[in-house]
Amino acid sequence: MRRASAPRANAPRAAYVLLGVLGCYAAGAHSVSDAYLTLVADKSGVLHGQWDIALRDLDFAIDLDKDGQGHLTWGEVRRNRERIEDYAYRFLKFDAGSRNHCVITPLKQMIDQHADGAYAALMFDVTCAGAASITLNYNLFFAIDPSHRAIFVGRKGDDVATAVLAPQNSTIVLP
Amino acid sequence: MSVRLSWISVAFVGALACAGGAGGANAASAPGFGVPYVPARDGEVIQEVPARTEPAVQRMHVLRAAWSSAPQDMSAALGLAEAYVDYGREIGDAHYAGYAEAVIAPWVHHVAPPASALVLQATILQFRHQFADARDFLRAAFKADPRNAQAWITLATLDMVQGDYVAAGKDCAQVTSFAGLALGLACGGSLRSYIGHAEQSQALLHQAAASLGGASAPTRAWLSGLMAETAERLGDWSAVESRYRDALLATPQDNFLLVAYADFLLDRGRPQEVLTLLKGHEQSDTAFLRIVLAQAAVHSADLANSVWIMAARFDALAQRGSDYFGREQSRFALQLQHDPARALDLALQNWRVQRAPWDARVLLEAALAARQPAAAAPALQFLEQTHLQDPVIEPLAQQLRTQINNGVHL
Repeated sequence: MRRASAPRANAPRAAYVLLGVLGCYAAGAHSVSDAYLTLVADKSGVLHGQWDIALRDLDFAIDLDKDGQGHLTWGEVRRNRERIEDYAYRFLKFDAGSRNHCVITPLKQMIDQHADGAYAALMFDVTCAGAASITLNYNLFFAIDPSHRAIFVGRKGDDVATAVLAPQNSTIVLP
Repeated sequence: MSVRLSWISVAFVGALACAGGAGGANAASAPGFGVPYVPARDGEVIQEVPARTEPAVQRMHVLRAAWSSAPQDMSAALGLAEAYVDYGREIGDAHYAGYAEAVIAPWVHHVAPPASALVLQATILQFRHQFADARDFLRAAFKADPRNAQAWITLATLDMVQGDYVAAGKDCAQVTSFAGLALGLACGGSLRSYIGHAEQSQALLHQAAASLGGASAPTRAWLSGLMAETAERLGDWSAVESRYRDALLATPQDNFLLVAYADFLLDRGRPQEVLTLLKGHEQSDTAFLRIVLAQAAVHSADLANSVWIMAARFDALAQRGSDYFGREQSRFALQLQHDPARALDLALQNWRVQRAPWDARVLLEAALAARQPAAAAPALQFLEQTHLQDPVIEPLAQQLRTQINNGVHL
């Protein structure tokens, strides 16, 4: 560096930044953090949920790959079910007003394959007292990755509602 | 603020292809997608994740621990965020740009944000092709520190990617002033390869390499990559090959270099080598596209499934509202979905935001395939103004100009 005062322009960083010049493949990383949240309302008003969360994201957040070898096995995921649920459900809230308490009941954990890898599929039910409209608040991963998005799909009979949950759009009122 | 949802018709949501893009006519070709299951054995490997045995991952763990124990320490935060960005670029995984963004957020949103945090935020946005937002952060960085070398380097990169070569020339002068002669030479050398002076570019890059003698592996790889690209402008294929190989010797896992070299191999009719080169890099969407293109060239039995997966990945990106993959998507539409009209549409949208040689090429190829030569006019005009030399692009441009001059309306 000609000027000692030039901050942070060390060669490797500069290399990274200038690499973009070559043709922007740097931006082509693409693989981003998505989750998929599906809620199906039955006639009694219970919501049956499936929440697919990328295992790569969960591994970053709560370190699932205990042996550190980079090969996440079903055994490692299965044994961490409780940790995964404790972590994930902290960031998913249902609210139907002060007198209509909502309860999330985790049912089971499976695996779902998506185009970018394997996801933990968290199955759960949501029951709210009373028949008030339900507000969903989603905050998974936003604090550690603001580019995380959840693709929400709600179904009731033949009706469907969708939303993309993001830090600026983390609360939705279910129809 | 909350948003009240309303019901919409099922038919529309079908197009949204929920849960991993499982919708669509081709879903049946990849059984298992969108159908949860319980693996049969505990020992079954279900996902590859970064291994802690890798030095770069270990380094991130150390930096993360340092930052966690001193979250108010900006240098700890910047060190970790930079490590995330570098690693994400190397393995072709945009998650790490998001992790970096979260780590520097307190400084970026500070009342008086420091230039270094603003520049890193701009780098992350550039990485996502949010060029206008990246420029806003750079402007703020210059306000805080007009002599910030990294900010000038980033602006030069942006101006080159977006084809504003006059501005890039000025930026490179500032890079020389504030980042030193070697990086200034590399900046100017890179620029000249886009404006019809590829020989000068080679000379400058050699000088830069000499000035940076004994540089780190990533820096050597970076310069070799720039030289490879310049050799491509000149059609010196043996030089291209040896430069890419040099670069990959220095940084064998670099997603950017692997993908650029794979494109070279595909152009040279060597798809089998692409499959070998990119084995294990399927997680990166850009690498995966080249794998699928190579599979098409060798008529692989895996092709149909891979095309479905690639389409599902693009669908997933579209669902979340990301649209920064126009170049790849246009190539995918043209070469693998055989849909020139869609390829042209994507290439034109992409051309509005980025104008590197590959962006021109996908537009020209799509216009030719779609038999709409006039649609390529913006790129043809740009190529005339900039005098880009390129043995692949020039014949395409010539063909289109001939068609336009002959008033071909096919």
